[in-house]
Amino acid sequence: MSENEKLLVVKDLVTTFATPGGPLPAVGGVSFDLDQNETLGIVGESGSGKTVLSRTIMGLQPRTNVTVSGSALLNGFEVVGASERAKRQIWGTDVAMVFQDPMTSLNPVMRIGKQIDESLRVRHGMSRSSAKHRAIELLELVGIPSPQQRYSAYPGQLSGGMRQRVVIAIALAGSPKLLMADEPTTGLDVTIQAQILNLLDELKERLKMSVILVTHDLGVVATRTSRIIVMYAGRIVEMGTTRDVFQDHRMPYTRALLESSPKVASPSHTRLVTIPGRPPNLLKLAAGCSFAPRCAYATDRCRQERPELQPAGDPGHLFACWNPLPTTRGATPQ
Amino acid sequence: MLRYVIRRLVMLLGIVFVISVGSFYLIHLLPGDPAVVILGTGATPQNKLILYKQLGLNRPIYEQYFTWIGNVLHGNMGTSFISQTSVASTIRAALPIDVELIVLSQILAFAAAIPLAMRSSRRPDGPLDRILGATSFTLLSVPSFIIIVLLVLFISIKLGIPHTGPSSYVTLSSDWIANLESLALPAFTLAIGSFVVYYRVLRSDLIATLQEEFITMARSKGISQRRIMWRHAFRPSSVALLGSAGVNIGGLLAGGFVVQYLLAIPGLGFTLINAINMSDYLLVQGIVLVVSVGVVLINFIFDFIINIVDPRISRE
Repeated sequence: MSENEKLLVVKDLVTTFATPGGPLPAVGGVSFDLDQNETLGIVGESGSGKTVLSRTIMGLQPRTNVTVSGSALLNGFEVVGASERAKRQIWGTDVAMVFQDPMTSLNPVMRIGKQIDESLRVRHGMSRSSAKHRAIELLELVGIPSPQQRYSAYPGQLSGGMRQRVVIAIALAGSPKLLMADEPTTGLDVTIQAQILNLLDELKERLKMSVILVTHDLGVVATRTSRIIVMYAGRIVEMGTTRDVFQDHRMPYTRALLESSPKVASPSHTRLVTIPGRPPNLLKLAAGCSFAPRCAYATDRCRQERPELQPAGDPGHLFACWNPLPTTRGATPQ
Repeated sequence: MLRYVIRRLVMLLGIVFVISVGSFYLIHLLPGDPAVVILGTGATPQNKLILYKQLGLNRPIYEQYFTWIGNVLHGNMGTSFISQTSVASTIRAALPIDVELIVLSQILAFAAAIPLAMRSSRRPDGPLDRILGATSFTLLSVPSFIIIVLLVLFISIKLGIPHTGPSSYVTLSSDWIANLESLALPAFTLAIGSFVVYYRVLRSDLIATLQEEFITMARSKGISQRRIMWRHAFRPSSVALLGSAGVNIGGLLAGGFVVQYLLAIPGLGFTLINAINMSDYLLVQGIVLVVSVGVVLINFIFDFIINIVDPRISRE
């Protein structure tokens, strides 16, 4: 497949924050690509750099005290190094973001209808009435009951789940080709989480979008993504099809992540496995594999030399480990 | 919202009642006997009694209050014993000057504070922010009577701009340009004090608001920085600004007498000081009542505006 057909091509992307403690490499050299109409999962613990990565890809990192290098080619537009003015042209129309916490990502003193149709009026030059019409359509599309009345509600008058639907409606207003969903369900009740994820799935099919789903919850990505990227300390440590990552993972960290999430099949009162230790301090990264201090399989080599991504059996399945787990290909899936 | 407004209105009436009782009682706190003031020290007890009856001073104090407040509500605040003019007409002549001074000073203060706070909050600790921070802090510590004296020295005396010096007040109805000239220096002086407060309050609130996630969200819509500032950041950052404006404007009404007195501008503050000096108690009482009710009303209006600006407040 030629790179022209890819919606997104990311190469050696590095995002470094200037902090009082020195430069902090939140994203430390990430490369991947994304097809049209694909759903990609980015998984990792808090602080693994997944949120910073998703923002850097669309150029939405903070405007000060950050340096970005490498390349992120989004629908033919080079995001890295682009001016704010240039990026405004792709924001909303090529790429849009569903933010993490609907309690903080909506303007509390602006009616939700105005927040949805703002970009329609300002960017697409729609008249007040046709923008309002479209906003009500969008509210209906994301499953908000009585959208006519909700149009003039303030965010504080809606529940968390409804607010997240509004956030999605805002993201959809410009008909983006790529939707970034950064932990879209973290702030919500469990029952609402599934509703929001199903809504995203449905909208993706209906509107022919690509979706990048960023989460710490493997349960969220299991049935909804075609491929998964596992991140640790700002780098990709394993990447492959959802099936590969779940059933034929080679990186011990991936297995640890899988074991630490609850499973329906386990008997009740089964203790969840926790990963010993803590994610590393990005200000003081050691030379070797970042996961080595917490890894049961770590050797001296792991502590001295960082493993690069290497191909596993299946095409597109990559992992970064000196002592990978044995492949389960051919064996019966658990 | 309606319930909130009604609740505040009831509170407002309560406060105004307390103020009116206080102003009424003010006159009773004064030492001396009104009969002695009017009739002189040689008055006989019989004459005194007749006068008490004429003035209604023999009746219980609450009855006296209700008679008085009834008159006040009809616009009758009595006639000054000193100048023999009606207190209400004296106040009616002076109050518009205060209003004009306040309006002018607030236009100047807001016109400077809002754009400058928006600029400097975009780069906290940047060059502009540091310069404005130091300047506003310096201005904050210079009292208004120093500023007005320096302004008179340079603008009225050195540059010789007409109508700007002391005792050169021209009424609005006679010549509006000369009127503006005569109010320029006091309005500017009052504006400095307001500007410093507004600039500092709005700057710090804007800096906090710009950190919010909904600003990043607004950015991700691809709208201009200008629009993000005015439409998304300004409104949620203006609650403290409006609150301090309410207090500040009330303060100017009650305490703007320094510049008025120094330049002999016949507003309420100037009139009040003269009334105090001449022991014109009825006039003092009238001005205290009008100013206090004015301060309460201004704060009520600003509370109301804050509620419209930030609907979260009345909902909670």
